[in-house]
Amino acid sequence: MSKTEKNSFFKGASMLEFKNLRKVYPDGTVALKRVSFTVEEGEFLIIIGLSGSGKSTLLRCINRLIEPTAGEILWDGSDIIKAQPKELREFRRKIGMIFQHFNLVKRSSVMTNVLSGRLGYVSPGSSLLYRFSDKDKKKALDALEMAGITDQAHKRADELSGGQQQRVGIARALMQDPKLILADEPVASLDPVLAHSILGYLEKLNKQLGITVICSLHYLDLVQRYATRVIGLKDGEIVYRGTAEDIRKMTDDEFKEIYGEEAIRTGAASITGGGEV
Amino acid sequence: MTTVYITERRDKHPVLAAVLSLFLPGLGQVLAGKVRRGVLLLLSVITLIGLIMWRINLLAHLEPTAVDKLIKAFSRSPGYIILIFGGLVFIWAWNVRDAWLLNMPDRRGSTILFVVVLMLFFTVGWQISEINLVKMARELSDAWPPLSKILWPWEAAITYDQELVTANAKILVNDDQNPPVPELPVEGVPYIKSTPTYGKMTVRDENNIDIAGDTIAIEGTGFRPNTITELWWKDSGGNQFRPRMNREYVSVVTDADGSFSFDLIIPFRMVPPSAAGQQIHQVEARQTFQVGGPLASDPLKLTIELMIETIFMGMMATFFGILISVPISFLAAKNLMSGSWISKAIYYFVRGIMNIIRSIEPMIWALIAVVWVGLGPFAGILALTIHTIAALGKLYSEAIENIDPGPIEAIQATGATRLQTILFAVVPQMIPPFVSFTIYRWDINVRMSTVIGMVGGGGIGFLLVQYIRLLDYKAAGIAVWFIAITVSILDYVSAEIRQRFV
Repeated sequence: MSKTEKNSFFKGASMLEFKNLRKVYPDGTVALKRVSFTVEEGEFLIIIGLSGSGKSTLLRCINRLIEPTAGEILWDGSDIIKAQPKELREFRRKIGMIFQHFNLVKRSSVMTNVLSGRLGYVSPGSSLLYRFSDKDKKKALDALEMAGITDQAHKRADELSGGQQQRVGIARALMQDPKLILADEPVASLDPVLAHSILGYLEKLNKQLGITVICSLHYLDLVQRYATRVIGLKDGEIVYRGTAEDIRKMTDDEFKEIYGEEAIRTGAASITGGGEV
Repeated sequence: MTTVYITERRDKHPVLAAVLSLFLPGLGQVLAGKVRRGVLLLLSVITLIGLIMWRINLLAHLEPTAVDKLIKAFSRSPGYIILIFGGLVFIWAWNVRDAWLLNMPDRRGSTILFVVVLMLFFTVGWQISEINLVKMARELSDAWPPLSKILWPWEAAITYDQELVTANAKILVNDDQNPPVPELPVEGVPYIKSTPTYGKMTVRDENNIDIAGDTIAIEGTGFRPNTITELWWKDSGGNQFRPRMNREYVSVVTDADGSFSFDLIIPFRMVPPSAAGQQIHQVEARQTFQVGGPLASDPLKLTIELMIETIFMGMMATFFGILISVPISFLAAKNLMSGSWISKAIYYFVRGIMNIIRSIEPMIWALIAVVWVGLGPFAGILALTIHTIAALGKLYSEAIENIDPGPIEAIQATGATRLQTILFAVVPQMIPPFVSFTIYRWDINVRMSTVIGMVGGGGIGFLLVQYIRLLDYKAAGIAVWFIAITVSILDYVSAEIRQRFV
């Protein structure tokens, strides 16, 4: 893919550009081998691939929770990988992230968990006392309302069900006023019905607020339903690139080429007690 | 035992195996492929023979030769010698049979052999640890006097104020020149008078037989009526003692008017040569009686004071322990210290030191601390602190190792600084185990400080061991009761707090 010349103001403009991204772990595992692709603003990009194919590594390289070994990740032309700690925090602030296991602080209240999404904006001094401004608190209540869990605000995070916890995770990401949301297997710990509800919610953020979403997923039917574009990873290499139309035409056999025999549909309509593979 | 070798078809030599095992126990079993069984058997037999030889040597250490030793030992405790030698012979024989059977086609040895080996070890152990059930049963009654006092010590917990009423009279001893003139009685004041006011003292001859001295008539008035009155003797040097007549301490009971009279033989008193010459001694009549209501006795007061000291010792040791172990625990957490080889070296160093410190009991640290800072509670605090640092450091560092890394990356991803990440992702996860371990340790420290005083580390143990050495079992009983009450309250409170926090 080549760099688009369009004005980044409009949808479809290039937002993130990956150039020869490479990650080798200290034990010698090559997680990513020279991965290059572009993310357009406003996309709902879904990354598919087996466990260990490099999906999580790729997502975590974007906000540098994992330090890439080589390559470039350009955000509007500036390289995230070269960012100094202060610039990195500014990048991270614009990138919300949600996780497979929600990664909430279980013993803290829902409110505190959501407010912690604001940490990139508050001064380190005031957070020493676990204090947030009234404006931030109002914002947190709004985020919880958008996620539909206002009534749970003062419960402890671990008292919530899995689906509710993931909504708290999304509300926390929303507090960052993100331009981009990274979702690392956001529904893998949830049942198919909840999976649709969470992804539908991400789609709403994508369509209504124009937040770009990069999401890794396992299930073909969910990919077909939500993706605007798809990238397939296998052993740290991109083995598939497709548009929304391509993926909707994709058969189970093609899907299995990327996934091997583990490929599965959630079959939300037919499977009742389904879950993760 | 493993059955892996059964599947191996190898030539079996039962006779050869039996002969081999006869000469060296276990060898036949090795031949059958049961190497571990053979080695275990051989080691057991060698150990048993060694232990038996040692014990026989102790029983008859004066005898010159082995045979003499055996005969002497047999004469001293025949049952024991028969039992262990019987057992040994049985094991040896059974080992031969076992080797034979193991080398028969498709046969497995029994485990009876090892049951007998264990029984023989148990027999030797019984003798080594000097267990004496007969003595235990026979002298059970000896345990009752101290035990009963410890179980119900409360009579010693109260006391009454005592009032002392005295009056005395001067006596010239071993002389009759210028005897002292009796003082005149004053109305309402206790008064005694001696007739005469001089006399010869009792002397003791070279065979230690007393030759009675003169008798003096003591008359007293103005005392409390119907009360036991003791007579005391004071020599010219001011030393006082209770004289005895017919082996009994001299005492009289006053009549309804508060008067008494008594014929006292002037007692024996060794007079130093330097005090030669005219000597005036005194006879004194004493009455003591309780006044006022019951009061807390000294043992009770001391116990309460030292119990408070003990609780605070535990608290201070826990406090200092926390202060030092929190930073150390970060150095001993594997997940934080796995970065470079330097941090790994620090991790292993800190862990190693902590393991060594922890393996030395607080009592032993207290012995060192007493030498270091002297007797008293500070030594106890020091000893407990040292042990607490190591114990809490380990527990804390394990708590840090067990924290969920998920929230950390989630908070990092929001653009938080390192400090904010620690405050929002690490601290909330660490508080429950920290609180729980700290309370648990405080509980342990108070319990430990009750005994640490026994080696001079202050606190109630100091008092307890003193009372036990003075054979004051009632006072010791008060201390034991207070320790038991405090420890159980603390146990309950610490369990409650920990339950609420986790």
